[in-house]
Amino acid sequence: MSSVHPHAGTPVRPAQVLADSHHPRPAAGDSPVPNTASAAMAGDAPTGSTAPVDDVLMIPCQGEPMLGLLSRAPQPAGTAVLVIVGGPQYRVGAHRQYVLLARSLAALGWPTLRCDVRGMGDSGGVARDFNHLHDDITAAIDGLCQALPEVRRVVLWGLCDGASAALMYWQASGDARVAGLCLANPWLRSDASEARTRVKHYYLQRLTQPDFWRKLLRGGIGLGAVTGLAQQVGAATQRGDAAPGAGLDFRQRMAQAWRRFPGPVLLMLSGRDFTAKEFLDGVQRDEAWRGALQRSGLTRLDRPQADHTFSAPADHQALTEAVARWLQASFGQDTPSPATATTTGAQP
Amino acid sequence: MEAFFLPAGPGRTGNRFGLCHRAQGPVRGGVLYLHPFAEEMNKARRMAALQARALAADGWTVLLLDLAGCGDSSGDFADASWADWQADVSLGLAWLRQQVDGPVWAWGLRAGGLLAAQAAAAPDGPDHLLLWQPPASGRLLLQQFLRMRAAADMLDGGGKGVVDGLRQQLAQGQAVEVAGYTVSPGLALGLDAATMAAPAGRAGQLHWLEVAADAGALSPVAERGVAAWQAAGWQVQAEVVSGPAFWQTTEIETAPALLARSTAALAAACPRQAQAA
Repeated sequence: MSSVHPHAGTPVRPAQVLADSHHPRPAAGDSPVPNTASAAMAGDAPTGSTAPVDDVLMIPCQGEPMLGLLSRAPQPAGTAVLVIVGGPQYRVGAHRQYVLLARSLAALGWPTLRCDVRGMGDSGGVARDFNHLHDDITAAIDGLCQALPEVRRVVLWGLCDGASAALMYWQASGDARVAGLCLANPWLRSDASEARTRVKHYYLQRLTQPDFWRKLLRGGIGLGAVTGLAQQVGAATQRGDAAPGAGLDFRQRMAQAWRRFPGPVLLMLSGRDFTAKEFLDGVQRDEAWRGALQRSGLTRLDRPQADHTFSAPADHQALTEAVARWLQASFGQDTPSPATATTTGAQP
Repeated sequence: MEAFFLPAGPGRTGNRFGLCHRAQGPVRGGVLYLHPFAEEMNKARRMAALQARALAADGWTVLLLDLAGCGDSSGDFADASWADWQADVSLGLAWLRQQVDGPVWAWGLRAGGLLAAQAAAAPDGPDHLLLWQPPASGRLLLQQFLRMRAAADMLDGGGKGVVDGLRQQLAQGQAVEVAGYTVSPGLALGLDAATMAAPAGRAGQLHWLEVAADAGALSPVAERGVAAWQAAGWQVQAEVVSGPAFWQTTEIETAPALLARSTAALAAACPRQAQAA
């Protein structure tokens, strides 16, 4: 009953091969499944084919295995994509968005790896937050380049704190393999920014609603609510919340990377997303982010109706197409174009 | 751990992603994990992985199988049907029976428990069942799921009659989209019709475990479910352990008490055989 794909469980090449990455015992009569690699439609093996859809990589990171799924392109490619999975998710992503994205991009010529970092999903190790993914991202890039020796450039793709982690990885490492950044709704929260965004987008809305004033005049707004608002406004007007001498906090590291990263950046923002509003508020307000949105090499996609994870199929499709177009424009000259130029995206 | 793709089998398309944690030491048997519905699968993945490791360390070969259109399996969620998922349960059980001697458990969380319970009726079904948070019915799960769309629509000024409208759409053969998941009628109606009814004609062990902030008594609905399985001849142990509803919390959370209780329950039910000299 079992299928043995030549690459299933195949460990990444170098010394730290995991002892337990062996093939499952095939049932009598089964023959190994050939790797047909030419997936015409993202996510679907051709009817009747048993070709596995992705390759499994077991990537060692500080002695712990990280499980990654690699969607291969039909032809060798010089540029590959690494999806940095933020919390609280695992390698498939909300509504399988990373699976669909990876398979679509790979079918168009861009091999894509998505990985459980340590402590996430099926990987070993202890759960960690997005500030501590440096070794995991290093290992994932190493694993990707070892599995695909022709890859010279890696694009980091991240949503929310995954986007923040991508920026911080480059800031800390200066890894020359990182050739581009795709950042969706980057996480830029602080107590002050959360309060500001709430005041700006929620409370100000309330102040324009007649029933708010009727309630206020009738005495229907309790002291708790008023104090709450006062606290939010107070927090919103604080200047800076990094303790003196505390070193760079994550927002400062992100800002540094944003300013200094030499490659192209694709910024994707959802209209119906508190995180995206906070990001825009933060970059427009903080000195460290001055001129950020006018950065050279920046491409911006705005989807006004999209939610935080671009969950509506039309928004997922738009995001996938935008990423594919941006990859082609930024790195297409180094990578053979696929035979078909159409994006597959989510299937009807 | 080993990760691989199993062909769906004769007459079916695509592959199912499987992750296997092999038993350490003398092998007691096999365990097939059946994940919950839609986003609950994602949130619960960490707990499933931790439990699988704990069971493997205690002598169980565990297969975490991604159902059609789910997780890392091939195909689209929109193309999956409840019947596909039932066939996937058989696929997983058959694979495990090729890997181990000894009993094979179906371990289902939420909607996965419905699949496990249905599979128990078949001759090639699981020998025993471990159910985490069994739902009162598939209908209730579908209702909860469709309500998420109503909640989203309410923010747009809609909301009234949304769930009824979605049900009508499904009845008319149209897929519906909720929170990024396109659900086909074949999937929704199959889920809707699924119940926790005890099968006739076969019986084994059933461990019914629920998680609540205050571990107390089972709900009356759960008590009735348990009683029905006992009446059908199953040996049932039912318990509520303390912990978070990890399949739906905003952040990824774990329930250590559930891990410990589950491992102990399976060990007690199936003692290790002495190894041959």
